[in-house]
Amino acid sequence: MSKDKIELIEKSLNLKKIEEYEIYLMDTMIYETEFIKSEIASEREVNKLEYVIRILSQKGKETGIGIVKGNSLELKDIDKNIETCVLLSKHNMSSKYFFPESNSLSMVKTADEKILRDPNGIKNDTCAEINSEIKEHKELMLTFGRFRIHIQTNFLKNSSGLNLDALKTFFYIEFALKAQKNGNLGESWEIDYIKEREHLNIKKRVDKWARIAKDTLRAKNPPSNSNAIVVFPPNVLKNAINPVVGFHASGRAYHEKVSSFKINQKVASEKLTIIDNGLLEGGLMTNSWDGEGNPHQITKFIDSGICKERLFDQKYAILGKINSTGNGLRISDGSVTNTISNLQILPGEIPIDEMILNIKEGFYIEKCSWLSPDNFSGSFGTEIRNGYYIQNGEFRYPIKGGNLSGNVLEMIKNCQEISKENEFSLNSLFPYISFKNLSVSS
Amino acid sequence: MSYKSYDEIFSSFEEISNSYKRKNQYFDILYDSTSSFRIMKTRSAETISLNAKTSGIVARTFIGNWKELAINNFAELKTIEMKLPKVINKGAEIKEFEGWRFNKEIKPKINPSEIPIEDKLQKIREISEYITNYDERIINPIISYGELSTTRMFVNNEGSQLRQVIPRIRLFIQPIAKEGSVIDFDYYSVGAEGGFEIVKEVFDKNLDQIIQNSLDMLKAEVPPSGRLPIILDADVAGLVAHESFGHGLEADQVLRDRSYLTNYLNKKVASDICVICDDPNIEGQYGSSFFDDEGIQASKNVLVKNGILKDFIHSRKTATEFHSKPKGNGRRESFAHPIFVRMTNTYFEPGDYKIEEMISEIKNGVLLIHGYFGMEDPLGGGMQCTSKKGYLIENGDKTKLLKAITLSGSVLELLQNIDAISDDKLTLRPGTCGKGEEDYVPVTSGGSYVRVKKALISPG
Repeated sequence: MSKDKIELIEKSLNLKKIEEYEIYLMDTMIYETEFIKSEIASEREVNKLEYVIRILSQKGKETGIGIVKGNSLELKDIDKNIETCVLLSKHNMSSKYFFPESNSLSMVKTADEKILRDPNGIKNDTCAEINSEIKEHKELMLTFGRFRIHIQTNFLKNSSGLNLDALKTFFYIEFALKAQKNGNLGESWEIDYIKEREHLNIKKRVDKWARIAKDTLRAKNPPSNSNAIVVFPPNVLKNAINPVVGFHASGRAYHEKVSSFKINQKVASEKLTIIDNGLLEGGLMTNSWDGEGNPHQITKFIDSGICKERLFDQKYAILGKINSTGNGLRISDGSVTNTISNLQILPGEIPIDEMILNIKEGFYIEKCSWLSPDNFSGSFGTEIRNGYYIQNGEFRYPIKGGNLSGNVLEMIKNCQEISKENEFSLNSLFPYISFKNLSVSS
Repeated sequence: MSYKSYDEIFSSFEEISNSYKRKNQYFDILYDSTSSFRIMKTRSAETISLNAKTSGIVARTFIGNWKELAINNFAELKTIEMKLPKVINKGAEIKEFEGWRFNKEIKPKINPSEIPIEDKLQKIREISEYITNYDERIINPIISYGELSTTRMFVNNEGSQLRQVIPRIRLFIQPIAKEGSVIDFDYYSVGAEGGFEIVKEVFDKNLDQIIQNSLDMLKAEVPPSGRLPIILDADVAGLVAHESFGHGLEADQVLRDRSYLTNYLNKKVASDICVICDDPNIEGQYGSSFFDDEGIQASKNVLVKNGILKDFIHSRKTATEFHSKPKGNGRRESFAHPIFVRMTNTYFEPGDYKIEEMISEIKNGVLLIHGYFGMEDPLGGGMQCTSKKGYLIENGDKTKLLKAITLSGSVLELLQNIDAISDDKLTLRPGTCGKGEEDYVPVTSGGSYVRVKKALISPG
């Protein structure tokens, strides 16, 4: 059906004799249940369709790019959108650009057949399983929860011969568990997107929420330390690494003279190898192609601490006279931005338990308020929501409050140990890593 | 979605709505249409994009819990009655309000769609060029200009028939400066309900100060860590009012047993000089509307008066549960997003101190200015508010410029420790607010200068 819609738009483009065009169509189904305490508060179903038309107007060494997003499939509206897009392309002045051509793609599985067959059934079963596991922890209370299934079909067709489609399923999970004792309150509040059913690990996940909520009841403020060793689990690490390392590795940052990464120079500890992997099995952003239709690929851009490559979308690849690395991401206004797909940090050899054992004094950060580093400078400061104070190789007591601050670009040079265990979180597959020289104040 | 006249939309909505009897169940239906235009310019890229009236419809009913269906077009309207069940005897589970009628389109003084695209683009290019040529240390002038027009049409089975068209505009300028290995910036942001008149002033004024602020950041020092006397500017004070305090007042969190303020109604939560409000009904503000996405008329909510917590922030559902009056805070990002209790324009009311007096009384402290971002902790009452910069206060004088600062600790402790609020005019700054990490809606937050006896700060 969606292919018919693409053809309808393409027919109008052809009638208007548009030479260089691209149609990107997104058809999304969402199935969501929200809980207040353990009761269902709402159930939602959403069907959303949007398309983006991009039209190019070549101007010698430069290109005008028009971008129009819409969802009306009435012919008069499609025609109007095309006319507006042509107008925008005439006014816009971008660096030289042309649409990607057909290329060989690696086939990856991105949709779960069981979800496609019965999304509501899978959603309801998973919600029941989560609730049942939570009820096992009688001293805890579910205050709020959201569980959602996304089924997303994307189509891309351009005047250079690309004609692609991709079907994807994934989950959104947000649950808050409360512990209460002697007037003290503790909470675990997890928010995550998860690609695969097997990564849901409901029992393990709920047990972790329960541990965090209960431990927070006896949490203390962390002791101040301006030269602290801090262990980041994968879900916290991604918030630090992805926006900063991903940004500095991009062709965009290089061309805007703001990247601190130089090719073949040491930018991180030799223990760190970081890969952009758009084909990562189980990765949230995994697909055969990126937002422009270029093939996703595996790019080891930091190899043993040395910056080896940059990540390019089509625009910055053309500027650098090289090939795209499949790092064009389609964003909400229909334009394309140059950024990471999935990031992978290669695991180390030490088990996480042993890593903790090796720490004489330090901190394990389970959750920050909002670790949102400045992507240019890498600096960050964030409140510690849940964590542990480590003393003589063991968790001495849970911590809450106080600030953790540092700089991601420095942090990756001060990587101390990397665990052999790794976990998915959003679009990352990261191990646990301990870093030195961070600051904790309380 | 194909376009229909609003009379046609109301007519088809009322036909469906009337088939759900109010005595049996509450039902509402909303048409949401968004048009936007955006120019983004950086050193290496210029993007112009237009969202041509993307629209959708969402209908819901309460039958012990909400059942909701969001669809793309009018052809799918018939699926609503198939998917949203009709029941009996559930009507009293949502408090009934008298239906009302409203139809208003805000006409901006200068309609941005009447300004040719090439003129707007030319102005952005001129600004970009001016910033680039100002100083060789400016390595990337980032400019983002956005126009947004939102149409919401609402019908329910209480007889409400509402329509509002709200134009909003926003301009963001971020000159990135670099010297040696130091990269930093300051930013300028303006946004409001209205038209091109809001940004025209910026276009016409001298950009030098905006650029100089970024250059000054190259010499800024790392802020101290620890518990110190602090002063928050209107921006950071607004962040505290909204992120740290306000999210705990959203009554859905209270209903979930997930608010640190659950037991504080009519109790002291702040020092006597504090008045904190949420008001969706302020003309021209980025977070304003005439009615919310549940058809409730927007009105002012005095949340804290003389330090006493007077009310929570409500949706239809929470107002029913707490026997309270909703004031226009049931909001959704779009038809494809759910309704939650959300803030609108949230602020500290100005006090009667002079800012000079507030600074002069501090021996060793920090002034936090230019709010950057914050995160809520509805159960714990914790706080994370980050300012883009600040100043050291030494012996009663504002001295060295400081880099980004993070404010943390207990929000109730901070509010109780407020000992002065300046008499400056109320300043509100635009932003977008998420519930958790999604469902973004336009808001403002602000106040005037607020002084806190002692609070925990560290580098941000």
